[in-house]
Amino acid sequence: MKVLVVAERKGTELRRVSLELAAKATQLGDASVVEIGGERYSPLPFVSALARKVQADAPDLVVLGATLNGRDLGARLAARLGRAYAADVTDLAASGGSLEVTRPMYAGKVRARMRVPLPAVVSVRPGAIPLRDGAPAPQVTKIEADAAAEKLTFAKFAAVASGGKRVSLAEARVVVSGGRGLKGPENWNLVEQLADALGGAVGASRAVTDAGWRPNEEQVGQTGKTVTPDLYVALGISGAIQHLAGMTSSKVIVAVNKDPDADIFKVADYGVVADVFEFVPAFTEAVKKARSGA
Amino acid sequence: MRILIPLKQVPDSTVRVSVAPDGKSIKTEGITWSISPYDEYAIEMALERKDADPSTVVSVVTVGPARSRDALRQALAMGCDEASIVIADEAVSPLAVARALAKVILEAKPDLVLCGKQASDDDQGFIGPALAEVLGWPHVATITKAVPLDGSVELWREVEGGHEVWTAPLPALATVHKSEKEPRYPSLPGIMKAKKKEIPERPFAALGIASGPMLEVVSMEPPPARGGGKILKDGDLKQVAEQLATLLRDEAKVL
Repeated sequence: MKVLVVAERKGTELRRVSLELAAKATQLGDASVVEIGGERYSPLPFVSALARKVQADAPDLVVLGATLNGRDLGARLAARLGRAYAADVTDLAASGGSLEVTRPMYAGKVRARMRVPLPAVVSVRPGAIPLRDGAPAPQVTKIEADAAAEKLTFAKFAAVASGGKRVSLAEARVVVSGGRGLKGPENWNLVEQLADALGGAVGASRAVTDAGWRPNEEQVGQTGKTVTPDLYVALGISGAIQHLAGMTSSKVIVAVNKDPDADIFKVADYGVVADVFEFVPAFTEAVKKARSGA
Repeated sequence: MRILIPLKQVPDSTVRVSVAPDGKSIKTEGITWSISPYDEYAIEMALERKDADPSTVVSVVTVGPARSRDALRQALAMGCDEASIVIADEAVSPLAVARALAKVILEAKPDLVLCGKQASDDDQGFIGPALAEVLGWPHVATITKAVPLDGSVELWREVEGGHEVWTAPLPALATVHKSEKEPRYPSLPGIMKAKKKEIPERPFAALGIASGPMLEVVSMEPPPARGGGKILKDGDLKQVAEQLATLLRDEAKVL
């Protein structure tokens, strides 16, 4: 199978998901990796450049990371080329003359195996494909975005005060989320200090973002982000079904809640029945000690 | 300004979804259907425009089975002005749905089309970008705010660390991640008014749409069950904290 990987960069580094895709593509067959250069992502210039590349190389499969931009680019590319499209898959394998993928549906409440006719475009969930340490860096061909195809005008970037220095939520290997049990935005230093001790990103439940304690972009759950980190820590989160949908595929789940009947404990690998205000500072210190080898 | 929202009726987000005996679909008996959550945000965003400028006309359209009419009724009760349905009882390919919507849109001539960023059943997020592609319009994905300007619209797109603000010439399309306020509930007068509104329908087959590639479900299963975790609740909190940190490092190997 001929596979074209569309790589994405964050700052100067390739995103981890791009490395995961490059490794997977090599297993599937004849792989090449392309990166689209441009000041910032915009659908028409990127689709135009990528569609030209796909028409020239005729890969059976185009794979992108199921990132904010990857999902957008993949969908419009598939529509332009009349190719089949599967989004946010967690596994993919060649099967006869087609492709078989596994993907979550119904906000993660169901896992479906689906047959995708080739040629196809597929976006793959970050963290879904194991990446072994020391995997060779892929050879990346750069193409330029087609500026002439642009119909939009970029006006400005409006930065939010928080965040920025931490890793992005969707790709983080560790996520620490806070819920209503934190009682107010002024207590988020507890969440942040633990996240920093673990080297992770900060998330929130919907109750918290709806109340305006934290920005929307930090929401984990059905109408927020779906995350699949190695470690997910839920602090003061009761575990509404919509929240669970966004994090139950995490490898290890830790829950801290003072209500022993909270639904979050049903999905937790390690649960601590305690007051977050008392437990979290002690846990943050213990994590620092454990990570330093003590 | 005319704003059009294509919507989809899906199982309500509070439904405990389970797999049907055929192993390829979900049980639909007795479940509650609703407007897909992101489509509700798109409706709310449009209605906020209408609150600010009452000359705004907001219409909704769906391609789906006859039961989807209830979702349109719900949108009318929230305050939308018009609704129409393209009846498709059989499964239609996603690209064909986009083509059918494009046909409706070219007739209705809205200035702005707002799509939910993805439907909460298949979670593909295909229709918005695909519809823009079929129409040949520019689009901006996952917006949280739309501000009409003279002959154009400013679209705020949520990205890591903030918002990119794009200006699109009209007509344009955007997919919606969130509205500024939570979607409103239908008012009682709204519900009464919605009951009386006509919802024009036409069969999908009458549109003469070319089909597109279809994905085939091989099997469906619930996600792997979790649970049986260790609950730590007794003893001194400092000791529990150290025990947990050690377990995470030596047993779970995630530190």
